[in-house]
Amino acid sequence: MYKIMMFSGGVYKFNELIETVEDIGGFILQSMVMQTETMLHLAFPAEEEPRIKAKAKELGGKLKDLPLGGAEIMVVVPSLGKHHAVYPMCDIAEFLRRNGAITDMMGLARGVGKRIAQMTVEEKAIINECDAAVFVFGNFKECIKKKVKLCEMIDVPYIIVGGPSASDVDIPHYVGGVGRRTSRMNRKEDIEKLSEMATALADVLEEKRIELEEDPLAASPLFIKEMIEMILPPKVTEEFPIVIHMDGLRVKVDAEDEERIRDIEIGKRKLSEICEIKKSLYEGYLLEILPEAVAGEIF
Amino acid sequence: MEIKVEGGDEYANASYTNVCNDVFRDVGLRSNIDRVYMYCNAAEHVFIISIKIGRVPSPVKVWDVTLREGNKLRITKEEYAPKLLALLWDRYDERVQQESRLIIKFELDEEEVAKLNELVVYDPKEDLTVRMLDGIDRILPEGARVRYPIPSAQGQGITIIASENPISDEWKVKAKELVGGIASSGEVHN
Repeated sequence: MYKIMMFSGGVYKFNELIETVEDIGGFILQSMVMQTETMLHLAFPAEEEPRIKAKAKELGGKLKDLPLGGAEIMVVVPSLGKHHAVYPMCDIAEFLRRNGAITDMMGLARGVGKRIAQMTVEEKAIINECDAAVFVFGNFKECIKKKVKLCEMIDVPYIIVGGPSASDVDIPHYVGGVGRRTSRMNRKEDIEKLSEMATALADVLEEKRIELEEDPLAASPLFIKEMIEMILPPKVTEEFPIVIHMDGLRVKVDAEDEERIRDIEIGKRKLSEICEIKKSLYEGYLLEILPEAVAGEIF
Repeated sequence: MEIKVEGGDEYANASYTNVCNDVFRDVGLRSNIDRVYMYCNAAEHVFIISIKIGRVPSPVKVWDVTLREGNKLRITKEEYAPKLLALLWDRYDERVQQESRLIIKFELDEEEVAKLNELVVYDPKEDLTVRMLDGIDRILPEGARVRYPIPSAQGQGITIIASENPISDEWKVKAKELVGGIASSGEVHN
């Protein structure tokens, strides 16, 4: 399995780090050079961690573990009104991004209230495209307990964030102490709450990761991303043309490039043979990589 | 401003006290409200909020926000500049000109200048109700869209019952009991 870490440091010889990562069969997920500062998201085989750490130390940079790296998380709030946006919705999304996740945000069309709260089929399908979801609810335990039915409808792992403490609300995957906010969550106790939430999310993702390890995919999404980028280089202005999921990718390409994507060679196989390719409800195409047991070996 | 929140559990009450405080600060009414009372019953999904309005500032006149310098006015409170300029241009057309960001030049005789000084730039009473209702809307849970207002007898405040279900007469009576002196003591009109 790949370990995902963030390197931050100066520009001096940072190319050497990139070369080291590529030499050991790793990937650069994101790279940002800001004048004299650099930030890299690296994915490399877990057993090579000491080598990367030694290189980072040599360059005088810092390495930070990204427990949510390589996952796309949907932050779901009952509505996009001022009751939920921008606080705490954006604080939560920002904290998840700091932990390596790629985040999307969704306000439900009819998610407010207690009895009247509901989720449409399309909303459910969009959430299911992501690796995990974070449901942000309010201050009343009676409402949260009732709204759990919305979360149970989805197929991906999820956590629920709300106001009352976890001991008062007896539901699984629940993190309390957030609730309704009217100001930014930047105090020490708020950051601790957000860390608790990120840990809970990392735990549910770990369960999915273990499942994938038991029934491995035909090819790693990171490897497929590299192969796609060789055929279809990312456009300069495009942000995140390829989003990595734990078990697939979302590729933002036009309809005319769909055939080219299907024919990309991954080892001895074509991409269409090892992936289920379907139009994403969000944007572009969704590539769901089949398990090796179904698709067969690629080499 | 005194805030009292009841009915929910400890966390919800404390959280809604903060929400009330922050929202009324955001809409600029904290110094104009005497008392806020909120009752939350999440089990039956009924929320009651009652507001008692206190002192409302007197109207802001031209001389409150400007200083006269010969045939010019210097704006001392810039937040009123757009309203002030709109008022003066509306009344005196091209005889009033904005020379720079804070300087207004006028060609008026002394009698007109005396009248100009007394013109009302902004009356806080004008949009008090709008701002108060906006604040209440931001505080009450979004799902509680069925509203029932109870105006106070002296016109010094308002009580609103909000729920996602039809509001029963029982709750209308209970709301009056809960808010006591703030709400009207008369019969509730349907």
